[in-house]
Amino acid sequence: MDHKRQIKQFVLKNYLFTEDESALSDSESLIRNGTIDSTGMLELIAHLEKTWSIKVADIEMIPANFESIDAIGAFVARKIAA
Amino acid sequence: MTSWLVSRIEGFARTQPAQRAVTEGDRVLDYASLWTQANAFAAALHEERFALGDRVALILQNSLEAVVATYGTWIAGGVIVPLNAQAKARDFGPWLRHADARVVVHEAGHGDAESAIDSLPETPLVIVTGAGSAAPGARRWSELLADVPQHAAIDVDTNVLAMILYTSGTTGRPKGVMLSHANLAANVQSIVEYLGLVATDSIVSVLPFYYSYGASVLHTHLAVGARIVIESNLVFPHLMVETMARERVSGFSGVPSTFVLLLNRVPLDQYDLSSLRYLTQAGGAMAPVTTTRLRSALPHARLFVMYGQTEATARLAWLPPDRLEEKLGSVGVAIPGVELEVRDENGRRADAFAVGDVYARGANVMLGYWNDAETTAGVLQDGWLKTGDMGHVDADGFLFLSGRRSDMIKTGAHRVHPKDVEEVIADLAGVGEVAVIGIDDEVMGQVIKAFIVPQAGTDVSTDTVKAHCRERLAIYKIPKFIEFVADLPKTASGKIRRAVLAGSDLREVS
Repeated sequence: MDHKRQIKQFVLKNYLFTEDESALSDSESLIRNGTIDSTGMLELIAHLEKTWSIKVADIEMIPANFESIDAIGAFVARKIAA
Repeated sequence: MTSWLVSRIEGFARTQPAQRAVTEGDRVLDYASLWTQANAFAAALHEERFALGDRVALILQNSLEAVVATYGTWIAGGVIVPLNAQAKARDFGPWLRHADARVVVHEAGHGDAESAIDSLPETPLVIVTGAGSAAPGARRWSELLADVPQHAAIDVDTNVLAMILYTSGTTGRPKGVMLSHANLAANVQSIVEYLGLVATDSIVSVLPFYYSYGASVLHTHLAVGARIVIESNLVFPHLMVETMARERVSGFSGVPSTFVLLLNRVPLDQYDLSSLRYLTQAGGAMAPVTTTRLRSALPHARLFVMYGQTEATARLAWLPPDRLEEKLGSVGVAIPGVELEVRDENGRRADAFAVGDVYARGANVMLGYWNDAETTAGVLQDGWLKTGDMGHVDADGFLFLSGRRSDMIKTGAHRVHPKDVEEVIADLAGVGEVAVIGIDDEVMGQVIKAFIVPQAGTDVSTDTVKAHCRERLAIYKIPKFIEFVADLPKTASGKIRRAVLAGSDLREVS
């Protein structure tokens, strides 16, 4: 399973409480639409760090990296490649 | 005479037109623009045959438009009804019907607002902000404010209604706190006095304008010609601190969870926050350890612990910062113009250190609950407001709170009525009985836990319950914990014993 799809399944399961992939588009804003709040963002980042053995720095915790499934997928891909 | 708050904006538009009033990211409203746009909004309302006292519902996150619509409505002689923008259609419908809103302003693409408007018996004037989709018949904010003639501020009696704030009632019985222009003016003037606010002050605010605390932060700063910097949320708290440092703000306001987040997640010593002069904290008791950590992290900023409620416009008491260490745990003394009294069970003023009901009196106390004389009579008695809080005063007259005669849950900046969540969960097939309580949480103060008795032979899962709640409730009302139980503890008369549930073993199922 590619990492973007895995991230999406984590978000669906933990914040939307569903496995229905049509419930969330990959480009939809997770923050603006209220899918993820402050505590949820910490849980998501902890999940990313554990799953892919990466470290998310404070400076990287910005909307550009976490706005949507697309953004998070691209961010994780960059971190893995680094 | 015109509303005092409106007259303040009008004055600053003349005396300091280029001074920034509100900023939101790259967008800025100076006092001249705020005054011009608010007048244009008022003029647009009058072109729609808007009448004195008509209600304008605002379903808006903190934004420049929310500020313009508020002052514009007051210029037009109307009443604002700021609604929780995170709420769902099942909340908006009852609120809009209860307030009989003539006008609704909401962000483009707000599906729950659109559904609620569709369900109304009479379609209000709908004004849509932002560039997203708009329902047929809705007016665009940008077009509405373009090329309309300016409108002179309407004279209103200061005792007429300015605002209705819905507090945490249930959808079946909304509680709309009625605040007059005089209520707002009195509370703003008291707060300005004890905080020592001046035109050179500026503040970062994450507190929603649709709550009394956030509204109070907005109006106190605009009333002195100061600047308010809107930050949309706390998902990335270090970005907010960057804004505080970059904008060299002098103030910051939060609820306990705001400060816990800042202290736990942001290395405050790595930012230049030397411009901070005051911090304000309200919205429930903050743990003394958090207060001490905050004082230590930002020793140059004066920390004002405050207490109040929506029924008192916002504030009732403040703890002078120079007494903070000495009176740690106290919410302080009455603000200017307010009397506080603790009464015993016989209704007499209690002795020092004796716990009783907290009552308040002052020009900031609400007119009552909108269209609800019965509930109003329960809290407004002989000119006094029964706050519903319990507490005592010490020998120096400092108030210490010790609980509340209600089951209301405080989570972050929000208040949640357990019944509101219980009603939604009870609607789910397979749920026999449900009880909702708040349980202690280090960051949020409390989080929501639901106890569910499933119907025999049914299969209800935590995901089913949470997904059901997510469709119908604001995100902060979704239970963090769910426990399935065989039965609920009840009194002989069948009332759920929530205190017993609160003592129950916590079992995380998510």
